[in-house]
Amino acid sequence: MSLAAEAFVGQIAAAEPWPESATLYQPLNDEQILLSDNASSLAVQAYLKMCSLPVRVSCRVNAEFMSPSGKVPFIHVGNQVVSELGPIVQFTKAKGFSLSEGLDDVQRAEMKAYMELVNNMLLTAELYIQWCDDTTAAEISRPRYSSPYSWPLSHILAYQKQWEVRRKMSAIGWAGKSLEQVYEDVSQCCQALSQRLGTQLYFFNKQPTELDALVFGHIFTILTTRLTSDELAERVKVYSNLLSFCKRIEQTFFEESDQSPGSSRYSKGPTLT
Amino acid sequence: MATPMELRCWGGDWDLPSVHFESLIVLAYGKFAGAKISVKPIDWTWRTITATVPELHFDGCTVIEPTKILNFLRKQRLNADYELTAKQGADTMAYIALLEEKLRPALLHTFWVDAENYINLTRPWFASHSPFPLNFFVPGRQASLALSRIMLTKGESPYCTLTEVEGKIYSDAKECLNLLSHRLGTSQYFFGNTPTSLDAFVFGYIAPLHKAPLSSGQLQQHLKQLSNLCQFCNVVLKNFFTENPPEPPPAIQEPVDANLQKLTQLVNKESNLIEKMDDNLRSSPQHRPHRSDHRPAARSKNSTPA
Repeated sequence: MSLAAEAFVGQIAAAEPWPESATLYQPLNDEQILLSDNASSLAVQAYLKMCSLPVRVSCRVNAEFMSPSGKVPFIHVGNQVVSELGPIVQFTKAKGFSLSEGLDDVQRAEMKAYMELVNNMLLTAELYIQWCDDTTAAEISRPRYSSPYSWPLSHILAYQKQWEVRRKMSAIGWAGKSLEQVYEDVSQCCQALSQRLGTQLYFFNKQPTELDALVFGHIFTILTTRLTSDELAERVKVYSNLLSFCKRIEQTFFEESDQSPGSSRYSKGPTLT
Repeated sequence: MATPMELRCWGGDWDLPSVHFESLIVLAYGKFAGAKISVKPIDWTWRTITATVPELHFDGCTVIEPTKILNFLRKQRLNADYELTAKQGADTMAYIALLEEKLRPALLHTFWVDAENYINLTRPWFASHSPFPLNFFVPGRQASLALSRIMLTKGESPYCTLTEVEGKIYSDAKECLNLLSHRLGTSQYFFGNTPTSLDAFVFGYIAPLHKAPLSSGQLQQHLKQLSNLCQFCNVVLKNFFTENPPEPPPAIQEPVDANLQKLTQLVNKESNLIEKMDDNLRSSPQHRPHRSDHRPAARSKNSTPA
């Protein structure tokens, strides 16, 4: 959407209240969804729960293709469709629900910077591990991504996605990295997040913000997803305050409504150990 | 470190030690950390097409890419971040990620993809600094690399056309510059009175934008409104990159009149407040429809070549 159209939609959005029938679309939980998509989806779910906005989660095979930007998850609210955490945050802000209003300018700058850090490092590392590492791509990513489709479509779609991701990685200079270096980058990112969090309950004051939702989405997914090796999860487990942060958010926002955040899919257990 | 380290980078112009923003990052950090780096510009050599710039040579090993070079310098005990707390180190990483994601695409676009700037400034400069026959290939290759990077990272549907991507990356970049300006506030450097690696990164990204004589520079005009960032650039250039650097700034500022200092702070606060109000006005949904009539027209004027 061009900027003018976005502003127009924002105006319309501000006029209507949040409907009960709001739906969040993501790929199938058990067979299809991959690590990076699950992290993004969980981040959006956590954010909406923090704003106390009800949303139903609907799993569709073609969620990625339905989405206006090609990325999952996306929400269908009233007669608008918005995808990805950034635009969804702006959309809910237009409706009057915002978690970061109490922050001053410097804090808002920090929050945006840390969100970019998570997107830049954690999300890119997740994509790299899924699609550029040959073992993971062959054993997990390609079979899962193409599971709903029959041959030859499954082959074509899986390889097309892999080619797209690899092209993007080489454009940003990650193609030359080894898996070890990627794990090292993830460790450094988690160390930065851990140092920023310190002993606080949430990243800013006592109230959660979209940064908390984003970090929760990624860290929880990394910890509860089984890949070909446990190295990634082990690296993250070193930072105990991030672990307790995830547990706290899970207990506060997900268990009260008796909804498990989709962690039963190919994971070791339903919750964090 | 008996033998100085050698840095290969693009040469300088427009009052800057180098026109290439990655090389500037390394040069600035080297000055902040007190490293003895001898600069070898690759202009007019065949390295313009063979080498990845910037490149640091020391004792037989070669390091490329600013982040890796900075890590290498830190391992050689040339650490400008020594006095930072853990939280400040984490903030550094976060702000560098912000610069990479939000500002870099717009910078690449301003210099390499925007038709007016490319034809009037970037291509002539790089072609004149490359040997024959490379001057035919080097600018074109850089431009296509820049375009492919922008389209691959930011150009997912529905932003399939370049004009829609342009709108998005420029608004992201302006927001990023505003955020940096808020973070810098009235202090001289980002963390106190001594420059650190974050200052090097910000300087490297902003200085070419500030100093280059761009013909169509909406981002440059936006930057010029953020006076504390421009001041930051000038201070770094004056203190670290002139032939006879003046005495360290704190020594000079001590005898300054206390009233003058208060007045300067008030003026800065005023301009920050006006910036904030302006941004709030621009970003509030009620006011957008009025301005959005002007904006697409203005954008299309900027992005179509004359």
